[in-house]
Amino acid sequence: MKLTFPYMGSTIIYQKLLQLLDHEVIMPPRPTQRTINLGVKYSPEFACFPYKVLLGSYIESLELGADTIITSGGHGPCRAGLYSEIHLKTLRNLGYHVDMIVFDDIYHYPKLFLERLRMIKNHKSFLQLIRAIYTSYQLAHAIDSLQKFMEIKQAYELEQGAFAKAFEIMRQKFAKAANTVKDVQCLQREGEMLFSSIPVHEPPESQKVRIGIVGEIYVVIESSINTGIAALLNKLGCEVTRSLYVSEWVDHALPRFIKKSDTAIIKNSKKYMEMGIGGHEIHNIGHMIHYKEQGFDGIVHLMPFACLPELITQSLIPKISIDLDMPILTLAIDEQSGAANTLTRLEAFVDLVRNHKLQKAG
Amino acid sequence: MTAARIGLPTALMHSYYRSFWKPFFEELGLEVIETGPTTKAILNKGIRYSVPEICAPMKIYTGHVLELLDQGVDWIYIPRFVSIRKGDVFCPKFLGLPDMLKHTIPDLTSKMVTHHLNVKHENIACMKEYLEIGKLFTSNYRKIKNAVQTGRKKWLEFRKYCVLERYNCQTANGKVFTGKPALQSDLPIKIGVIGYVYNVYDDILGMDIISRLYKLGANTVTFEMLEQGEIDRQLRGYKKRLFWAFSNKLLASAHQFFRDATIDGIIHVTAFGCGPDSFLGKILEINFSQSPKPFMTVRVDEHTGESHLQTRVEAFIDMIAKSKNFKE
Ligand code: SF4
Ligand code: SF4
Repeated sequence: MKLTFPYMGSTIIYQKLLQLLDHEVIMPPRPTQRTINLGVKYSPEFACFPYKVLLGSYIESLELGADTIITSGGHGPCRAGLYSEIHLKTLRNLGYHVDMIVFDDIYHYPKLFLERLRMIKNHKSFLQLIRAIYTSYQLAHAIDSLQKFMEIKQAYELEQGAFAKAFEIMRQKFAKAANTVKDVQCLQREGEMLFSSIPVHEPPESQKVRIGIVGEIYVVIESSINTGIAALLNKLGCEVTRSLYVSEWVDHALPRFIKKSDTAIIKNSKKYMEMGIGGHEIHNIGHMIHYKEQGFDGIVHLMPFACLPELITQSLIPKISIDLDMPILTLAIDEQSGAANTLTRLEAFVDLVRNHKLQKAG
Repeated sequence: MTAARIGLPTALMHSYYRSFWKPFFEELGLEVIETGPTTKAILNKGIRYSVPEICAPMKIYTGHVLELLDQGVDWIYIPRFVSIRKGDVFCPKFLGLPDMLKHTIPDLTSKMVTHHLNVKHENIACMKEYLEIGKLFTSNYRKIKNAVQTGRKKWLEFRKYCVLERYNCQTANGKVFTGKPALQSDLPIKIGVIGYVYNVYDDILGMDIISRLYKLGANTVTFEMLEQGEIDRQLRGYKKRLFWAFSNKLLASAHQFFRDATIDGIIHVTAFGCGPDSFLGKILEINFSQSPKPFMTVRVDEHTGESHLQTRVEAFIDMIAKSKNFKE
């Protein structure tokens, strides 16, 4: 069994988990234009953009020799829960001999869930499985915490690319040496020290611009398809905070009793949306309000083109923007989004945000 | 005192549940205002208040709501369809519809009558969901119960015409409300039309495709003619069904239509940008790639021209007629 998995965020987390369980792992390559083109070619025109990218990514992993895909399932109301079904149908129809191990909701299909767990457990004991999961979980949090740090301080780096370089060094170290929770903790500290040693020039508080990013999970997390939006904003001198990181996505997927809750944030969204409608909309709206409370200056809302729940969110945004007195930019991401185009729109937006801030101050 | 006027936007699920809603609200003593078939003017109103990328059915619904506001009704009924079958839900846009309208159309909030429709059966006429709505207009419990019952009876009648006498949504409404029987004659060709009621029977989106086919010599069958039990039977082979109630109905009817030897061809009518249909379409494409039965997808939106639709439908029927003649 040669396993591969969906490309999302820092893939070394999943790689680590599977390697700790002695699986042979085929790493999905970072999505490129080719990946996207492949996905688009074999997807329905109005499939979600993440669906298309993942399909392209699976094809590339299969080309590298993978024969089994591990992924998550779900049961609606949005389309993501059906990705695996349609992906598998499509891939087999294209002639690939491929299996999928789909982790569906433990509540809906408890037996199936355990069966799947047994499959990926390999010859290891359950204790070892739990240890491996826990280690990867900590790894996810460690990497995300470094990334959060970076997306704020990178705005002020004196030498361009210094943070990116340091992050890459750390990523490789994590991939190689983070095999226990202790390793992870050591490396995280090392990373923090490395980051703190990078020279920055921070402007006075009144001139700092803080941008919050919200949106559909895949385009928020995956920098290879959101044209590296956090880095672009950093380059324009803005601090960036995202509403979602991989580790938090894992937190969401956890069974309810161990889940860290952000009910307080979600509760705020009630005024605009009575119930969750399938994506991360109530989370997103809650975060918009939360950003306001924390004194952010602007919000970027990322959505895959024609995303169902985010279109509803987009419809609400003019009202939210007025209520919060906060500039909000919606960017639709699809196969044609290029960095140059995004940069132009971001530049204009950041100007607007700065003016808005000045006006409020004056 | 004149009766308060409640508006029913004649879009989305309206034609499927009209036979319940209209008598229900009338029994409560309200005057029911319907916006009627979608016009260009209604569509344009909707477009002005919608984000450009949203699907046309949502824009059209928005237009009907604005039309009702312009007509100065006292109330507008905008239900939130959550589920009409255990395990199935509605498309995320339906789930967020009242929120979206409330925050995009000024002055709507005070007139909007809304609630969650979350039931286990497509027969939504029950006290559990409609007691609260009734209470907005009367404190008389019996009156509400009576209204629900009257509405339910009408709706069941509507469903009976669909299932037993093969009326479609539109003709069944005609029969229930005016007693007008459906045009039915022995035509040489039979086509299965798969599509949501708000696409197929909308004047702007569906462009009267059913009558067009009829004029070209084809009778049609649609998903409304299948009973829920039949729908579930057709989908037994699926480990995982689709999530959306009406998408599942379409998927099931497609199975039934492909299997039914008396049906000569199948047309899928779908809106541009429809998320659920993107997956439904893919499943049909793969599952029935081996079937010899002609299958065509017609994508419609607010810009689709009539001549485009007519040409495609004509070509499709032509092809079927030729191959039939050839066989005989
Ligand atoms: S949230 Fe958007 S991207 Fe995700 S499944 Fe739904 S439509 Fe697709
Ligand atoms: S099912 Fe399709 S057409 Fe209907 S509201 Fe949802 S996206 Fe629009």
